[in-house]
Amino acid sequence: MILVTGGAGFLGKEVVRLLIAKYKRPVRCVVRPGTSDLVFMELFQNKLPEQLTLMQANFNNSEELKKALDGIEMVIHLAASLKGGYPAQVANTVIASENLFKACVDKGIKRFVLCSSFGVMGASSVPRGGLIDESVPMEHHPEWRDPYSFAKHMQEQLAWDYHRKNGLPLVVVRPGVIFGPPLSILSTRIGLEAFGLFLHFGLWNTIPLIYKENCADMLIKAALVPGVEGEIFCAVDDDLPTSSYLLKRYRREVAPKKSVLIPYSILRQLAKLNVWYSRKTNNHLPPVFTPYKVDATWKGHRFSNRKAKEKLGWCPSVSMKEALDITFQFSAK
Amino acid sequence: MKIAIVGCGQIADAHIQEVQKIPNAVVVGVCDLSIHLARQAALRYQVQGCYTDIKLMLKEVQPDVVHITTPPASHAPLAKIVLSYGSHIYMEKPFTVNLSEAQDIVAMATATGKLICAGHNYMYDPAYLRLLAACREKKLGDIVHLISVMGYNLFGPFGSVSMGDPLHWLHRLPGGLAQNNISHPISLILGLMPGDTIAVSARGYRLRKERFQDIRDNFFDEIRANLSTDSTTAHLVFTSKVRPVQTCVTVYGAQGAACASLDSRTLRYIKGSNLPGPFAKVQWSYLDAKEAVREFMGNVGNMAKARLHYFSGMHELFTQFYAAIEGRQKMPIQMSEALRVTAVMDDIVRECKKNDGEKGRQ
Repeated sequence: MILVTGGAGFLGKEVVRLLIAKYKRPVRCVVRPGTSDLVFMELFQNKLPEQLTLMQANFNNSEELKKALDGIEMVIHLAASLKGGYPAQVANTVIASENLFKACVDKGIKRFVLCSSFGVMGASSVPRGGLIDESVPMEHHPEWRDPYSFAKHMQEQLAWDYHRKNGLPLVVVRPGVIFGPPLSILSTRIGLEAFGLFLHFGLWNTIPLIYKENCADMLIKAALVPGVEGEIFCAVDDDLPTSSYLLKRYRREVAPKKSVLIPYSILRQLAKLNVWYSRKTNNHLPPVFTPYKVDATWKGHRFSNRKAKEKLGWCPSVSMKEALDITFQFSAK
Repeated sequence: MKIAIVGCGQIADAHIQEVQKIPNAVVVGVCDLSIHLARQAALRYQVQGCYTDIKLMLKEVQPDVVHITTPPASHAPLAKIVLSYGSHIYMEKPFTVNLSEAQDIVAMATATGKLICAGHNYMYDPAYLRLLAACREKKLGDIVHLISVMGYNLFGPFGSVSMGDPLHWLHRLPGGLAQNNISHPISLILGLMPGDTIAVSARGYRLRKERFQDIRDNFFDEIRANLSTDSTTAHLVFTSKVRPVQTCVTVYGAQGAACASLDSRTLRYIKGSNLPGPFAKVQWSYLDAKEAVREFMGNVGNMAKARLHYFSGMHELFTQFYAAIEGRQKMPIQMSEALRVTAVMDDIVRECKKNDGEKGRQ
């Protein structure tokens, strides 16, 4: 049986659906106390399948965790905090994960798949146009990144510690920008809304998208394919579009949007100005944009999924064209 | 001045940032039961000492002041440890869970010659300081009535964390969510309402929808309290439903009224009119508009001069507390004031529980 954490989330629902519908595997899904069954009923035409067990458990309760792991062979760990400042995200993502790592080591779990993030990689030190893949080292200054990337970095580092010291049979999947209904395609890699305008930062950069179903499929393969313990896989789709293409299509198919183009060189100068002002005025405005963050996100890189194809036998089951059509059609409604 | 932080949750970030802005103050250690929380604070703010054992930290870094920013139930036990190691304390609100604990630690501080400053930092917000000055200068005459409103967003960064976890410490406080917050509006009222004999009546409400069928559905999200002394009355509103979320104090005096908004950081006098009939309405609204324009222009200037820091009140309170430790000024918030606020908080919690019934549920 496979245990999925965060199964009620955007990606988790897709993992649960595929495990049962495509891979015919029994699944136990750990959800937060208070999570409604309706989330899963919608996935399976209003009837919970027999292969799916829902279990309410708090990650800070070791007894509940042990119980959740009874009879489990593999774990796909997706649960993570998306909101709050650094301490809140560390508490919810890192501390909670450590309790799970410990429980999995105690129970002798055969495979542990951690859903990490592109944000843990030191992309800012990769030159413009350089390739982002599994060989890029982890971020040297996670404290200079946003709270989400910071917490995911701590979480992944801790998972590797448990792998090395305690034998946690770890496989890490680092997804790029996961997309699909009901999320908007306009992620921060493309730009930000401000003062009634869309500030377009991405321009001609390639956006490291991965459709939710394709990402779920890679996570499941990372759990099932033998002999890949200790490996990292970057999760991006084929035929990645540019930021300009996505914004143009959004304007045409979803809604008109007034936008201002802000090239990388100007954005970097603005980030320097933000840092200078913040320092000069004792943080009157926080340094939301720093050259480091700008480099990591908007410098313009290439992305590879070659390793996942070679070692996991993964390939996107939904093409980029089809995935974008589904997403834009949903947004247009 | 060597500062240490115990408890590396969300509010600790604000403490460290504000301490680091004060000349001659340096954060020498951070401590949390979770090494991950302690590490993240140490890494982000480049603090040398990182601990999970408070006694070890106190022994090794020997701080002058320890900021206690842990959940409220641990405030009193930690304060006793800190005092026994000879450090002063800045205590994040609420001071303690109840009056008895507050009296214990104040007695211990007095006996050891140490100071404890309650984290009633809203009292040092620039708008409230202006209101206090106006009252001291008798610009409003004798204070007749006060209204203190504090809004709260249940779906904000902290609200969503506590609502997402039935084991969150907030749900174990006797007064729940309100107890973690109402020391702010109480302190704003008591700053203008002297006297130890304060009669309190209060009622709590649950205006949100029941969602969880567990402890998270139990706490009051709204509190209405009336406070009175022989000469002054006050009304306290703690609300999670009112939008926009706001914190403000209005003073009604014998010679005038004024409202201090901590959100817009403005102080607007209600000047009234001395004209008859319909002319009064025109003059009254004109004077209201004039007040608004003056405050708007002031804030534009403050923005240009970078004087609108979010935690200005906290920064000012830290600065004055450290100065008091060095003997350069008197305590900004006397320990007796912390006891007064805690006593009123106890009364409000007790009254709300007493009056809780089916009428309070919606």
